[in-house]
Amino acid sequence: MTYQAEIARLLTLVATVLTVLTVTLITIFLFASAYPAFVEHGLGLFLIPEQNGEPRWFFFLETVLPSASTYWNPVDGAYSLIPMIWGTVLVTVIAGSIAGPLGLFGALFIAEVASDGMREVIKPGVEILAGIPSIVYGFIGFQVLNSFIQVKFLDDGASFLIAGLVVGVMALPTVVSVGEDALSSVPGAMSDGSVAMGATEWQTMKSISIPAAFSGISAGVILGLGRAIGETMAVAAIMASGTQFADPLFDIFDANATLTSLIATQYGSASASTIDVLFVAGVMLFVIVAGMSIVSQYIEQQMEAKLKGQQ
Amino acid sequence: MSDAYANENTLVSTESDVYDRGLDAVISLTVLGFALSMVALVDVVPLDASGSALGGFFLALLAVTVGGVGVAGLASWLNVVPVTSQRVRGIGLGLLVTSVGVTVLAYGLGVTLATLLGLVLVFEAAAVAAAGVVSRVGLVDTGPDMSAGLLAGGAFGVIGLAIGAALGGGLVGFQSLLWPVVSLATAGVLAVLAIVPREDLGSTLPAALVVGTLGVVIATSVLGPGWQWNPQTLSGGFTGGAVIPVFVLFSSVLAAWSAAKARAGFGAQGREYGAFLVINLNALLMLAVMATIVVFVTVKGIAYSVHGLSIGAVAAMVLLAPLFVGAVQFARSPAGPDEWHAGARQGLRVLPLAVVGAAGAFLVGVLALGEPVYYAFDYTVLENRVENQLRTAVAVTNETTVGSLLLVLAGFVLFVYFFRKYGTLRNVGTASDRLALVRQAVTMAVLAIAALTFVFLLVGPVPFGITPLWYAGLAVIDLGTVAALALAALPALGVLAGTREASLADSAQDSAPLFTLGVFGGLGLLTVTLFLQPVAQVAPSVGPVNLVTLVAMVATAAMLAAAALVAVAGRSADTRIQRRFLAEELRLALAGAAGFLTLVGLHVAVTGIPQFLLGLSVANAGTLSWPMVQQAYIPLGTAPGGIMPAIVGTVWLVVGATLFAVPLGLGAAVFLTEYAEQGRFTALVEVATNALWSTPSIVFGLFGAVFLIPRIGGDESLLAGMLVLGFMLLPLVLITSREAIKSVPDEYRDASAALGVSRWETIRSVVVPAAMPGVITGVILGVGRIAGETAPLILVLGSTLNATEAADVIGGFRFMAEPPFVANEALLSTSASLPTQVWAVIAAGVSGSPSMGWATAFILLMVVLTFYAVGIVARTYFRRKLNYE
Repeated sequence: MTYQAEIARLLTLVATVLTVLTVTLITIFLFASAYPAFVEHGLGLFLIPEQNGEPRWFFFLETVLPSASTYWNPVDGAYSLIPMIWGTVLVTVIAGSIAGPLGLFGALFIAEVASDGMREVIKPGVEILAGIPSIVYGFIGFQVLNSFIQVKFLDDGASFLIAGLVVGVMALPTVVSVGEDALSSVPGAMSDGSVAMGATEWQTMKSISIPAAFSGISAGVILGLGRAIGETMAVAAIMASGTQFADPLFDIFDANATLTSLIATQYGSASASTIDVLFVAGVMLFVIVAGMSIVSQYIEQQMEAKLKGQQ
Repeated sequence: MSDAYANENTLVSTESDVYDRGLDAVISLTVLGFALSMVALVDVVPLDASGSALGGFFLALLAVTVGGVGVAGLASWLNVVPVTSQRVRGIGLGLLVTSVGVTVLAYGLGVTLATLLGLVLVFEAAAVAAAGVVSRVGLVDTGPDMSAGLLAGGAFGVIGLAIGAALGGGLVGFQSLLWPVVSLATAGVLAVLAIVPREDLGSTLPAALVVGTLGVVIATSVLGPGWQWNPQTLSGGFTGGAVIPVFVLFSSVLAAWSAAKARAGFGAQGREYGAFLVINLNALLMLAVMATIVVFVTVKGIAYSVHGLSIGAVAAMVLLAPLFVGAVQFARSPAGPDEWHAGARQGLRVLPLAVVGAAGAFLVGVLALGEPVYYAFDYTVLENRVENQLRTAVAVTNETTVGSLLLVLAGFVLFVYFFRKYGTLRNVGTASDRLALVRQAVTMAVLAIAALTFVFLLVGPVPFGITPLWYAGLAVIDLGTVAALALAALPALGVLAGTREASLADSAQDSAPLFTLGVFGGLGLLTVTLFLQPVAQVAPSVGPVNLVTLVAMVATAAMLAAAALVAVAGRSADTRIQRRFLAEELRLALAGAAGFLTLVGLHVAVTGIPQFLLGLSVANAGTLSWPMVQQAYIPLGTAPGGIMPAIVGTVWLVVGATLFAVPLGLGAAVFLTEYAEQGRFTALVEVATNALWSTPSIVFGLFGAVFLIPRIGGDESLLAGMLVLGFMLLPLVLITSREAIKSVPDEYRDASAALGVSRWETIRSVVVPAAMPGVITGVILGVGRIAGETAPLILVLGSTLNATEAADVIGGFRFMAEPPFVANEALLSTSASLPTQVWAVIAAGVSGSPSMGWATAFILLMVVLTFYAVGIVARTYFRRKLNYE
């Protein structure tokens, strides 16, 4: 019997070690594979594109960073990730402006407004919405929305706008779920107290529930944005894999690859040095999204501690 | 007593009734506008439609409204679902009135949909403003606050900023420095208008101004369907087709908010009603999006994916059997007292049973008729930009063949179901020494036959050229099957024999040991003999039927007979405890019957020899024909091929990833929660796993491409895909398992420890079983997620469009004497999968077939949604169970 216990303990320990090892291995290997490109290109990975011999305006970063007229050309060894970074930013901002407000209202609806029966239908519904594979969204975008935008927005097809809209719908369930969890975790005593004072439900929501759950809701929004940044297939399916720089900067009808879709579309035909650069993109994504996840976890912990203290 | 309370009890005057009804109508109108704008956005009705085309649409809309409101009203009138809220009644009535109104307008004015929507907005604006003024003058009883508040003021400021920018841009142009001034001025006016006056004016006038302006702009065709704004600097532009619906959508929400506030008499109540209406409209929007996506993919993909689907009537019946048992189970659940509502609920409970029964009767009808039943239809396929008309049919045929796998599947599901229901029969009835001896003998025989199978597997059926051994195999099989038959017959015979001295019920209870011996012994013995048969290459048969099949069929009948006996006995049982014992026996006998039926299918599947019995036949080539799922792509074929390789690939990917991630994740979770010191280390691991879970999937793909591929085979492979998906699944399994283990109450552990149970025993028999539901749910949801994952697979799986061969993982195993002892070609070669198949269609561009893409996307969606549905249902079920305890 003791043998069995010892072996079991050992086995679980081995499983733990393997799991931790996997996590570490992935992290280390990513950084190690990206390192050669960092050394070789340095700031050349952040070339600001030039137009008419002048570096384009890019939030005054053009005064610090190098610039060149060829900014993505594997033959010349020019690899600037700036256009992809900007593409990611644009898509994420559009997605966030959709998923944020709608997600907050959705979370409010599920947590506070809906009746119990309604909640039992809608909550799983939202989860199922989260389950629709991204490639299906991408296929819809590719087949339908692209022709839709040609008619409705006089565009020649794919654009940041459509990609951002689709990614926003995809990130919506994450925001709703996490926000709803945060709102539900506000102790009933707090809102009961407010209602007992004669406040209406909306007043309670506005002045008690939302402020108390604010950090949780923002954690949800951060997580949702993380999903939007990391979304690959929908973006890759909707926008072709261009590497040009949006012109003008805020032209949401332009299209080019984001960091994720760059990897997905270029990897198959890439040379060794391009692959190294793709790893830099991978590391960026990894660091940003992991960072966002850690921040949102921290916020949630703080909120939990605060609510516990008030109970 | 507060003012609000007094207000609610004041008798409503006739004037205020008009006010209330009018505002209900306005709210209904905004809801209508909300729906119409969504319809217009997706071009169900073009914005420039007018006359009869538009009228027809509105008539349809009117029919829908009348139907919906009518049914709801009828239900309320019949007191089935009493609607008591005046507001809900008012909105229902308002929906009727307004849809009649817009229909009349559409026919009467003959204007386009855009103009009509503009007029609707203008009307709403006027009504809202009137409500505000009426309230301010004091004609109706309302309880407004001093101001609409800074929040509303700020919101109107932002709206004003946007409208002012557009207005300024249109009036003076974006080059002029004046447009920011116009924008700021508009924002200021709206904000002041919202904040300064009393609440009733502050929350209606600015809204009316905004809605009215947009309405006038749209109604006068300043912003018509043909409007375009295409700046040189942008690569796209805006058209009326996109802008008008968005404006109407926005204005409808704004007007709805304002009207709702006025309807509830402003003040705290008004703000609540307004906010709730907006929240509800938003939820409606989300539901609409969700439903649209699923329905759209289904509509696009279903015709292609059921091309040529046909099934034999008997096979369909076999499939129906588990559903039948499930429906019975559902119908048995308690429905409450004998009231009207409970009666309705009872009807609902019986409904699935009735449906299954009807389907069964239909299948019997098809068999009796002797003719297949077809549903034929046409659909169009787009291939290489050429539209192809395809004719196909979905059919139920009168074939009497059942596929062996189908039989095994249905039988196994039933066996598991009844076996799960069965508890124990230990210490029930009289056990004799002789019975114990038989029990031991059967166990030994099973082990011995299994060993013999292994020997034959190693040395072949005629080892060293000695035929007597072959005869020994034959003898063992003959003896084994006959013994299994005897065991299976034991329960029924035992019960009948016992009736000579005791009543049927007592006799049935008394022979409980016979039931366990008969079911478990018989099933075990027959299973091992079944596997010995192909290995020893012996096939004894009785007439045209194989011995094992015959025995399994007869044993099934015997088990059913025993079940029937026990069921009859149960009616005459006197004591409650006896009824329970008999119920256990009944379940065990049914489990036995299902088990023996499974063996019939299994036997055919293993030997590959079809069996005919009583006009039915069981064969490996069944009568379920579903080309999309069962066939590979047929190059240059006339009929569309299927995506079987992709489905097989996805199945293997999921299986591999689960096998990798679940033991590892569960083990780590047990260690981290039960053994490890809770501190820095565990917190760090938790943060790291959470971060890993949200890491973009493409990053996992990168890792797999440079780390895994050079180490296993050097090329893209199925195994690499499995491992990468396993890496993705691992953090989720770890997180959910930890949550589940943590949520097991400490009392369980304490109670176990207090009984002197060791730590490991506690974990094994208390903690992990209690946490298992949570773990299983988490794993199912996680598997649903990775099943649809595409990005990493592009980098590591190496799949191509329209694969013609499925990965043969089971047949690919090769064993050898030197390390690594086992090799599998299939695991190390590329494979197709459902998500990458969809991607391949996209990547192929013009040469890809969108129809096949839709069909693949549809099947992928169904697979993933099934995982999610099962996971969510399992979670709800387990949660309820926990709460009841």
